[in-house]
Amino acid sequence: MSIMTKAQAKNFAEMDDFMLELCDFLKSKNVIDATTHRSILLKGFSRMVAYLQEKKVISAKEAKEAMEKGFTSLVYALAK
Amino acid sequence: MNGWAGQRLRVDLSSGKITKEPLSYEYRRKWIGGRGFNSDIIYNEVPPNMDPFDPNARVCFGVGPVSGTAAPSTGRVTVTCKSPLTGGFGDSNMGGHWGAELKYAGYDQIVVQGRAKNPVYLWIDDDKVEIRDARHLWGKFPREADQMIKEEVGDEDIHIVLIGPAGENMVRFACTFNDVWRAAGRTGHGGVIGSKNLKGIAVRGSGTVKIANPKAMMDVCNRLRQTFKPDPMKIGLYEFGSLCLINVANRDGWFPWRNFQGGAHPLASNMAGETHAKTVLKHREGCFSCPICCGRFTHIKEGKWAGEEFGGPEYEHAVPTGPRIGIIEDANDIWHNARLTNDYGMDAIETGGVISAAMEWYEKGLITTKETGGLELEWGNAEVVDKLIPMIATRKGFGAILAEGGDRAADKLGLGDKGHYYTITTRGMTLPGDDPRGLGFGYGLSFAMGTRGGCDHLRSLCCLELSGALYPGLNTKILGDERPNKPVTTVGKPYMVFYEENQKATTDCLQVCCFTTHWSYAVLTPDQVEYLNAVTGLDFTEEEFQEIGERVYNLERAYWARQMSGAREDLVPERFTTEPMPQGVDYQTNVGVVFPLSEMLKKYYKYRDYEPGTGFPSERKLKQLGLDYVAKDLAPLRAKYMSEAEKKKKKYYY
Repeated sequence: MSIMTKAQAKNFAEMDDFMLELCDFLKSKNVIDATTHRSILLKGFSRMVAYLQEKKVISAKEAKEAMEKGFTSLVYALAK
Repeated sequence: MNGWAGQRLRVDLSSGKITKEPLSYEYRRKWIGGRGFNSDIIYNEVPPNMDPFDPNARVCFGVGPVSGTAAPSTGRVTVTCKSPLTGGFGDSNMGGHWGAELKYAGYDQIVVQGRAKNPVYLWIDDDKVEIRDARHLWGKFPREADQMIKEEVGDEDIHIVLIGPAGENMVRFACTFNDVWRAAGRTGHGGVIGSKNLKGIAVRGSGTVKIANPKAMMDVCNRLRQTFKPDPMKIGLYEFGSLCLINVANRDGWFPWRNFQGGAHPLASNMAGETHAKTVLKHREGCFSCPICCGRFTHIKEGKWAGEEFGGPEYEHAVPTGPRIGIIEDANDIWHNARLTNDYGMDAIETGGVISAAMEWYEKGLITTKETGGLELEWGNAEVVDKLIPMIATRKGFGAILAEGGDRAADKLGLGDKGHYYTITTRGMTLPGDDPRGLGFGYGLSFAMGTRGGCDHLRSLCCLELSGALYPGLNTKILGDERPNKPVTTVGKPYMVFYEENQKATTDCLQVCCFTTHWSYAVLTPDQVEYLNAVTGLDFTEEEFQEIGERVYNLERAYWARQMSGAREDLVPERFTTEPMPQGVDYQTNVGVVFPLSEMLKKYYKYRDYEPGTGFPSERKLKQLGLDYVAKDLAPLRAKYMSEAEKKKKKYYY
């Protein structure tokens, strides 16, 4: 599922500290709600990936790659 | 009741009244225990205008629901008070076995208030609690008083928390020890305990800890013990203690040479763990249920200090009493100084900090032998340090000035801002032996933001940047990015510090050793939640667990806000932000680095939801955490903090 443009993905990929901005973006797109936003910040990146996979925003393969390669892989998966 | 003992012991030394207060389910669920219980008491019962040495001030000892169980390293205790060093929130944490014994005696927390007419000690023998005469113990080193109490009680197997002469003399950075050598070092609670005429607390517990699901508990404990076996940090800590960090610190330029004038020295390996193990290590020691056993016992074999022995040292014990004051050639001088701080009962970090500040004042001509009473405070003068440590502990001569802590000493000597530059403090507390220009920018950020005074390596213990590289994929799992495992980068550090501070706070509420959850990452948050639920029979989630840490952190932050401490004080010592790191050895990795605090601070505030102007937790955040009463306390103070009158007050302590 594409929820951002490639330009937006590139912008995120270049951030030094992306977590809060990406959570805010996902909330603005109604991909996550306030409770999940908070849960992700408290639990960390693996929570974000697990939730997006659970909601079928990303595939199992993309989730696995995100956990191996990190957030740059994730944001480009969100821009496909 | 599963896990918890379910009660707090309150002792009023003025009236002699001893009460046992039940701890409700709601209270235990909100705070878990340990640091959480203590922070709540101090916030609610020690108001901002109270002198830390006031008889009505409290000092708390807290343990947690897994204390005394088979989970890894469950013997720890948090001691909390209003700090006489900083004037703000203060706590410290110690290992050993006392915490487990307190739990077996049937208590989750002790709150001490009041002041006894004469020196006393508490004797807790399960449900029997007595206030006993300690006049014969007053003036004794902890190792002497420990033996005397055991003989009195007729039991070698009891466990005792004690202060030394420094606490009795209300040195502002006096500390406590349990089992003689396990220190709760920081923030000066030893002086608060001494101000109450309390020498110590001896405990014998014959009870047990009820486990809701013993099979689930043993499954997770056995699994974790297997995880520890090949763990690289565990192996290093077992073999060489925390002194295993010396050579790493030297290579990466965070070895504090001469009050952080430099970050490396060619002779650093004289005091490395490897050298210590070959020359003076008598045996290794472990705390209650610990799979790591990082403790050392040192016996000096040669030279002028031959025959001395003591428990320790840790890295943070030896470095301030060695290279920070310019001593490195003869490591036996360092071990001797560490032994002195143990025996007199003083925070080694603050002791080394105040002596190194004085040495730099002397070097720069800000003070002379006129002020020092004839002491020649040259760098590395071991003979002078040997005299000065007891003088500080007993408040004699120049030692009486230094016993006030670096910033108050600078004021007493009339040294102005120039003197304060060399105290290397934030909110009145000095830096441990960790230069943020090399140890890591995450650590440096947490030095500025620490809630027990700044300059505190243990508030976040963001080892994801120190040992994170030893755990491939861990930074990605938590932070989404491996880049933050490099120390000298700002990448990912604001989120790292936010996460680690919350996680560390909850670890302190559980009262397990942070070496199992930071440094070594053998135990992760899901593991902690698993054994917590196995013990208590409850259903904590990982979110709730982390939120409790966030709640505790914000309560402590609010304590400072009530003292009018906020954004203006979120600083690190100027030396780190203005002086490029010089070269000390040719393999040093951080030459030229300065610490870029401001690049990270704004982002960190957003994670914490702190107001940009005041740095106070927002009303929204406090209410989200169930701290509505705290939001109410801070409401009238937000505008006050921003007033011109407040802005003009430059505070080094409170």
